[in-house]
Amino acid sequence: MKKTISNILNVFMPILLAFLIGAIIMIAIGENPIEVYGILIEKSLLDQKGLLKTIHTASPLILTALAIAISFKANIFNMGVEGQMLLGGFFAGVIGFTFEGLNPVIHITLSIIVGVTVGILFALIPAILKAKFKVNELVVTLMLNYAALEFVRFLAEGPFRDHSSGYVSTPMISESSMFKRLFESEITLFTIIVLIVFVIMYFVFKKTKLGYEIEAIGKNRDFSEATGMNVGKKIIIIFIISGALSGLAGAGHMMSDQMRFTMSFSGNPGLGWDGMLISLLGMHSPLGIIVAAVFYSALITGSESIAVFTSVPREIILIIQSLIILFLSIKMISKNAKAVAILEKITNKILRKDNKGVKK
Amino acid sequence: MNIIETKNITKKFGIFTANDSITLNVKQGDILAIAGENGAGKTTLMNMLYGLSKPTSGTLHVKGQEVSFNSPLDAINLGLGMVHQHFKLVPSLSIYENVLLGIEIKKEFKIKNKSFSLPFIDKKKEIKKVQEVADKYKLELDVTDLIKDISVGSQQRVEILKMLYRNVDVLILDEPTAVLTPQEVDDFILNLKELKAQGKTIIMITHKLREVMELSDCVAVLKRGALVATLKTKETSEKELSRLMVGRDVLLTVSKNHKKVDTEVVYKVTNLETKNELGKKVLSDISFEIKKGEILGVAGVEGNGQSELAKVLCGLMTTSNGNVIYKGENITNMWPINLRKKGISFVPEDRYVDGLCLDMTIADNIIAGNHWNETYFKHKLYQKKIINKERDNLKEKYDIRISDIDGNVSSLSGGNAQKIIIAREFSRNPDALIISQPTRGVDVGSIEFIHSEILKMQEENKAILLISSELSEVMTLSDRIIVMYKGAIIGEVDAANSTKEELGLLMAGIKEEA
Amino acid sequence: MDLIANILYDTIYHSTPVILLVIGGVYAYKANVLNIAMEGMLLFGAFSSALMILSTGSLFYGLLFALIVNIFIGLIFSYFGITRKGNVIIVGIAINLLTSALAAFILKVKGMAIINLSEQVDIASLKVNIPLIKDIPFFGDVLSGHPITTYLTFVLIFVLSVVMFRTKFGTYVRVVGENEEAAKSIGIKVNLIKYSAVIVGSLTAALAGYNLAIERLALYTNTMSAGRGFIAIAAIYCGRGKPKLSSIYAIIFGLAKALAINFKLFAGPISGLFEAIPYLVMVIVLLMASYLDNKNSWKRGYPNE
Repeated sequence: MKKTISNILNVFMPILLAFLIGAIIMIAIGENPIEVYGILIEKSLLDQKGLLKTIHTASPLILTALAIAISFKANIFNMGVEGQMLLGGFFAGVIGFTFEGLNPVIHITLSIIVGVTVGILFALIPAILKAKFKVNELVVTLMLNYAALEFVRFLAEGPFRDHSSGYVSTPMISESSMFKRLFESEITLFTIIVLIVFVIMYFVFKKTKLGYEIEAIGKNRDFSEATGMNVGKKIIIIFIISGALSGLAGAGHMMSDQMRFTMSFSGNPGLGWDGMLISLLGMHSPLGIIVAAVFYSALITGSESIAVFTSVPREIILIIQSLIILFLSIKMISKNAKAVAILEKITNKILRKDNKGVKK
Repeated sequence: MNIIETKNITKKFGIFTANDSITLNVKQGDILAIAGENGAGKTTLMNMLYGLSKPTSGTLHVKGQEVSFNSPLDAINLGLGMVHQHFKLVPSLSIYENVLLGIEIKKEFKIKNKSFSLPFIDKKKEIKKVQEVADKYKLELDVTDLIKDISVGSQQRVEILKMLYRNVDVLILDEPTAVLTPQEVDDFILNLKELKAQGKTIIMITHKLREVMELSDCVAVLKRGALVATLKTKETSEKELSRLMVGRDVLLTVSKNHKKVDTEVVYKVTNLETKNELGKKVLSDISFEIKKGEILGVAGVEGNGQSELAKVLCGLMTTSNGNVIYKGENITNMWPINLRKKGISFVPEDRYVDGLCLDMTIADNIIAGNHWNETYFKHKLYQKKIINKERDNLKEKYDIRISDIDGNVSSLSGGNAQKIIIAREFSRNPDALIISQPTRGVDVGSIEFIHSEILKMQEENKAILLISSELSEVMTLSDRIIVMYKGAIIGEVDAANSTKEELGLLMAGIKEEA
Repeated sequence: MDLIANILYDTIYHSTPVILLVIGGVYAYKANVLNIAMEGMLLFGAFSSALMILSTGSLFYGLLFALIVNIFIGLIFSYFGITRKGNVIIVGIAINLLTSALAAFILKVKGMAIINLSEQVDIASLKVNIPLIKDIPFFGDVLSGHPITTYLTFVLIFVLSVVMFRTKFGTYVRVVGENEEAAKSIGIKVNLIKYSAVIVGSLTAALAGYNLAIERLALYTNTMSAGRGFIAIAAIYCGRGKPKLSSIYAIIFGLAKALAINFKLFAGPISGLFEAIPYLVMVIVLLMASYLDNKNSWKRGYPNE
């Protein structure tokens, strides 16, 4: 019980503290934080259209967060989710605009396969460097992100440029490769695919041999090697899954939201980095990731409303997001803290009441 | 005169009481032994004396004055120096640099009569001064050697030199003989007697009763954090001390019947060789065979290649030459998973590194190494019921004491943690076992149990390799003993007809020509 | 001949900020603190100096402000990563995101997209033409005409190397990184040493930011750090934290960048691809360094880093 309470506190305290600092910044520039936060919540969660948009925005983020989670859980720092997502999205887009008049099912499937494959192939570079040559994956993936960005910039500016567009952009993908909207909202079939992938990943994490081995590798690599888990092979598998999820995220983002590649395809700070925050916020557990992803997307959709309805720059949300990561990096409250003990008492009381109620 | 007094010192870590109201007096010029089992609170007490941690309550007095240490520096300034069990030395630095860490000598230049210090370190002066002190106490060290190049025994002398250079009056030694050969222990005892003669006070933490009897003037016995007795060494006996430490009579050695072993060779190693990163051979020309139902002991001072031998045999290190043959099949350089599938079990030397995952549950630790087994992961899916049942079985069978059955291994004591490994590895019904340091840091009760389990495996006709730096362990359990020195086998003896002295000479690298 | 001189001049030009990050960053590395916040510190060094110069017009105040702000960032990093024992990689990411978010936010509040300092700073006048050397053919073109920070940087390589290996502070940094327990047991204040090591890096990062935004371009943009902090980390890794060796890896990056830029002119349609080359070069360098490190290892497995 104590552990659960301190875990919950350790997620909520950073969020509260970050919003508090955000509020102080707003007051400092002469704005009313209550009004701003009010708009933020109202437009992203309380309004039906906003809520559906939030869920739509959350879809690729759930995938990038899972991509981060599977590697971070194994203590492998795949910072390359951003790059893998970018390349996956770009090449899914290339398939999207190259073919026309295909059967939508075939076209969409083909685009997704290409996106996922590209993501995997790009993830295999750091994977093999790590598994075979023990090259630090953290630094390599950070470098490769920049290389990937420059590479797609080159392709978008040169060979695949849409010259009818006034800025750097690839052509729009064909109708047949677009995910159709559902329920007259922004939600598409992609969100359903994400949910299916999520369920699969939940099982991988919680119920399979691979999930068990990932946990062991993350917690003690020497132990894992000594008990025959073949860490090198597992590192490659982890990168493949991570790359596939990233590639799928990119492809889905392309085909359900962006429809063409521009230099702001991934947003700021980028779907991969957003995924990292979500994964941290969800403590690398699948269920936590779902909740965190919706919360985080609410911040994104809400920040657009902030820009429309107030004079606070939407970058305030970026500040709040990075503060949340900063505060999440430490344990704010130990499970032996007094506050935890008090809360435990209160929860026990409430639970006991409930139990009695059920019995009667 | 009492140079150190503790009054009702208590140390708590959360709800756990590591030291419970300890009152202890140390006379100047005495050698005091502090005896107790692992986990009795000896090291906690010493850490408080040395300023590494602060008591929860109670006071500490040095030379009659109440003191409160904020850091080891305060302790050193009052003349208290500590030599830790795990040396606190920086391998890439030289001896003199280690000795002078924290009190470096800076370059100076003089203008007329005033001297000014520069920010740079004066190497020449440092070397000269440290060498002088080393020579004065006859420590036989060349202070310009790097720590990583010298033997463990020399490293210990560096730790002592470090304290002597700082002019301490009291030396606190934490398990000082754990890493020494029997002969080195004898020299070490002479060294300490010399220091005592020069007026130093010595406090020695140990669980080896022979040394307590041989060396100390007084002995304090700790049990579960409390001081249970303070005795004059002359007026007590090993037997009494062990009863005080454990709380019951213990078999100091298990009895083993040296039955005639089978002739069938199960496990065979020929000309094994491997190297370290610098290309230096750390194992050379290792050959031995183990027959069915035989325990082959590997003795030697730590750091003479035993760890590397274990690593190679476990598949965690590769060989540069030689072969390992198991049941007639060449298994050299196979990965751990394949070795396990073939029916070999491993008890690694560092249980918290290679043996257990502290932050995983007991059940998850118990299936590790068998996780390829369909029983536990049918269709690759985690079989919770079966796994938990297996855990409960083993807990019963191996007498593992667990307070929270769904808790993590980190909540277990050293002895119970080791029993998890023993249970996991022994219950797989292997044909060969590679066992390293099976009872290191384990309480006496568990040692007895683990020893009898090992002998049980022998009864069941397993081939067993037992690597241990605890000489008495190797001698009581093995049929034959090979001794390692500088990465090679320096000699082999029959366990039943060998003496400690004979083995001690081999461990020191001295081979008597026949 | 001109081309070669250009390439070498550009190599020095592009190496400078990375070398600065490297020679400061090695201290944290040696103290066993992986500081990937160097990226954010570089960006904020550039931002804060540009902001100060915009409002005061004084280069000196700009640099001073950047140094002070970066000490502050170093303290935040250290508090979370060292005192509170947070995962330093996550703390580093957070600092990187926070610095770029803050910079973007402040610019928006001020109603600017970038900071243009062309009125306050005359880049040409900041270039130092060294007497005598500037007249030597070829060498004059390569070595003369850099801003003062560049020359300071190359001096600092040696200064910080001496500090690392010949002074008490440097020794303590190495001891703390190699065996923290040993340091504690003789009373070295481990956290103080770690904080100081991180702050050495923040200071050189401030200098690097000043060099990047002020001396080179008289301009600040939100993406101008462009991964140089990470490249510095890669160089430090390859050089195993040795100041001089790590600086050489930083120069390799500078050379790759200089080659890419100079040959881009001849590459025509594929010139855009050249932008990716410096990053790929660093990956290859990392691979080679790691291969050399492990080629004699007989151990299996991947140590916990």
